Amino acid sequence: MGRKKKKQSKPWCWYCNREFDDEKILIQHQKAKHFKCHICHKKLYTGPGLSIHCMQVHKETIDKVPNSLPNRSNVDIEIYGMEGIPAADLKEHERQKQNSRGAESSDEDEPANKRPKPEGLLGNAPPGMQVLPPGMIHGMVHPPPGMPPGMQMMSMGHMAGHPFMHPSMTQHMMAQHMMMQGQPGPPKPLFPSAVPSSSPGAAVVGADFKPISSGATISAPPTTNTPSGSGQGAKVNTIAATGASSKIIHPLEDISLEEIRARDPKYCKNDWQKNDDRGSSTSTAGSELSIAVSAAQAVAANHAVIQAKAHEAQQQHMAMMGRMAAAAAGYPVRVSGPPLAVVAGSPVMAGPTMGVLRGPLIGGPLMRPPHLGMPPGMIQMPPGMMYGAPMFPGHMIMQPRFR
Amino acid sequence: MYNQSSIGSFASTTTVAKPNPMNDYEVVQPPDDSISSLAFSPAAIPQTFLVAGSWDNNVRLWEIEQSGTSIPKSMQSCGGPVLDVAWSEDGTKVFMAGCEKQAKMWDLASNQVVQVAVHDAPIKTCHWIPNYPCLMTGSWDKTLKFWDTRSPTPMLSINLPERCYCADVDYPMAVVGTANRHIIVYQLEGKPQEFKKLDSPLKYQHRCMKIFKDKKKQPAGYALGSIEGRVAIQYVNPTTVKDNFTFKCHRSNGTPNGFQDIYAVNDVAFHPVHGTLATVGSDGTFSFWDKDARTKLKASSEMEQSISTCAFNHNGQIFAYAVSYDWSKGHEYHNPQKKNYIYLRSCFDELKPRPTS
Repeated sequence: MGRKKKKQSKPWCWYCNREFDDEKILIQHQKAKHFKCHICHKKLYTGPGLSIHCMQVHKETIDKVPNSLPNRSNVDIEIYGMEGIPAADLKEHERQKQNSRGAESSDEDEPANKRPKPEGLLGNAPPGMQVLPPGMIHGMVHPPPGMPPGMQMMSMGHMAGHPFMHPSMTQHMMAQHMMMQGQPGPPKPLFPSAVPSSSPGAAVVGADFKPISSGATISAPPTTNTPSGSGQGAKVNTIAATGASSKIIHPLEDISLEEIRARDPKYCKNDWQKNDDRGSSTSTAGSELSIAVSAAQAVAANHAVIQAKAHEAQQQHMAMMGRMAAAAAGYPVRVSGPPLAVVAGSPVMAGPTMGVLRGPLIGGPLMRPPHLGMPPGMIQMPPGMMYGAPMFPGHMIMQPRFR
Repeated sequence: MYNQSSIGSFASTTTVAKPNPMNDYEVVQPPDDSISSLAFSPAAIPQTFLVAGSWDNNVRLWEIEQSGTSIPKSMQSCGGPVLDVAWSEDGTKVFMAGCEKQAKMWDLASNQVVQVAVHDAPIKTCHWIPNYPCLMTGSWDKTLKFWDTRSPTPMLSINLPERCYCADVDYPMAVVGTANRHIIVYQLEGKPQEFKKLDSPLKYQHRCMKIFKDKKKQPAGYALGSIEGRVAIQYVNPTTVKDNFTFKCHRSNGTPNGFQDIYAVNDVAFHPVHGTLATVGSDGTFSFWDKDARTKLKASSEMEQSISTCAFNHNGQIFAYAVSYDWSKGHEYHNPQKKNYIYLRSCFDELKPRPTS
């Protein structure tokens, strides 16, 4: 199991041309992907091993190694990890690496090398077509540099060559592979029902906790992980696809759902986002004024440009003054929707709260009420007593409740 | 499979895709728009109250009775959608922050509201730190600020590398997750100070995070959820690198065409007694996990809509989760006609850790 020559930077799988960080993982990969019996899911150690197992146990002939490239499907060649690879192929791989890699760092080509893999998972996707979420076209526009020409064609051929690899089965193997990766011991016949699942009936995916240290490599098999930060033509502010066989349910733009939602006209109708003047955010006086401003601007549009600009500026100035006046006069600044404002308009809050609210904006600490000193016991009011005024619109529940 | 012992009046509804597939207690008079945040009252007060912040600009407060009955108690309005709510440790006040770029303090006894914090952009998170005391606010203006509620200027303002997306506080530790996948750990003793900047263990946008405690009840690390159906468990000082790990969650179970849908982890919460955790996702399910045994304890049925947020009460008897649209499929899928729900689940036994064998 010794590592190959220094030049050969990474172990790779002869059957599918995939590279691995570690030969151990390569062997796990081969056992799970290429040496697993499609009937009983027993993991064998080599291609000939698999062929003999199928022949003896299931009376079936295997003529191709599952999930292998068309020209690498020979079941008679004994390959285990990096051992047994024909010398010619080793050389050829080396040469291709040299060519494609160039000055690139070895980390950068990860996604590229993983790229060929999903073809095997994509049982019924149109041949050669990467299924990508809409808008994710950049994955296709920029073919990964490490991918040898004709790879897509080869994968197609491979798919055609394995009619017995039913899509659902590939899925299944994926899942099992994920479940089993932590177990280095000798493989036991593994039936679907024997998959260790933490909760019966629960989703297989998601039940696999895995250490992060190995996660970088192991988490990759079932899907292509294109790290969002890597180049590959992915724009910085979009969410990269996880792979051809999965889709992240999230808007394409890489900003939080809340930010996207907050932009929606429904939520920024008060213009809080663009307008720094907080006073206008909810104040009815404020919105009236802004309507006035826009009306004025519409009128102004008919005038000469300079005139209009001056007019607008003047109007805006007036609007601002108006807002300040509104705030000073204690307009309801904080309370929003009309029905709530009506219900919420308990005498307790109306007057003093407003003053206090505006206070900090102006800057004086003097208007803050003493509050932190309040004993915790204050809240332990008799059961059934409401905090302040009942404020739910609609039917209010006011009768005392005892526990 | 999903048999639950104490079922009230909802016993008849058993089919999936019905509003309440888990047969939990429904909170009456829920918010009119999506629920952004939930918080239970602290142990300091004998009753149990639940507050919920919503995109309808309101913060509502219910009393939750032992029987599972919820009684609407009060409501306050903000000038914009509410993004986070928090309780003071004595249970006398509720803090609320959101799109109006302000955080407000709601004194429950007097029912007065005062502004206590202001940012240049909407405030995504607010947390009360009783030890100072102060309010920590994290905003999309790329700052983290600490406010003495009596002063209009912050005690301290810390610049963040990016917009604040999620944060949590458990004195003396605070963590912030930001856009572009930054994680910053702060230590709060003396004066809030950056303790560590960390590379994200996740490859996708951060969405939620919560601090967990060790056996000695000291904050030891945090769980971080991303939009790519994955949660990372990270120790601040791991004994070995193997302590840190990620796990997948909230993903579809393989559709007929072999396509897997991966959903955002909208919220994560730790059970205050058992130390196990719950995750809720855009896929409309919640799951309970044992991070030490690294196993899933329970998976829920799928709700009508995504689960936007969740919370445990102080003694871990109640798990509250909010079924409401989280915008993960864009505005086109927003159906304002659809009712939003907050459900309460008696969860203490379900979150017991796996017996160690």
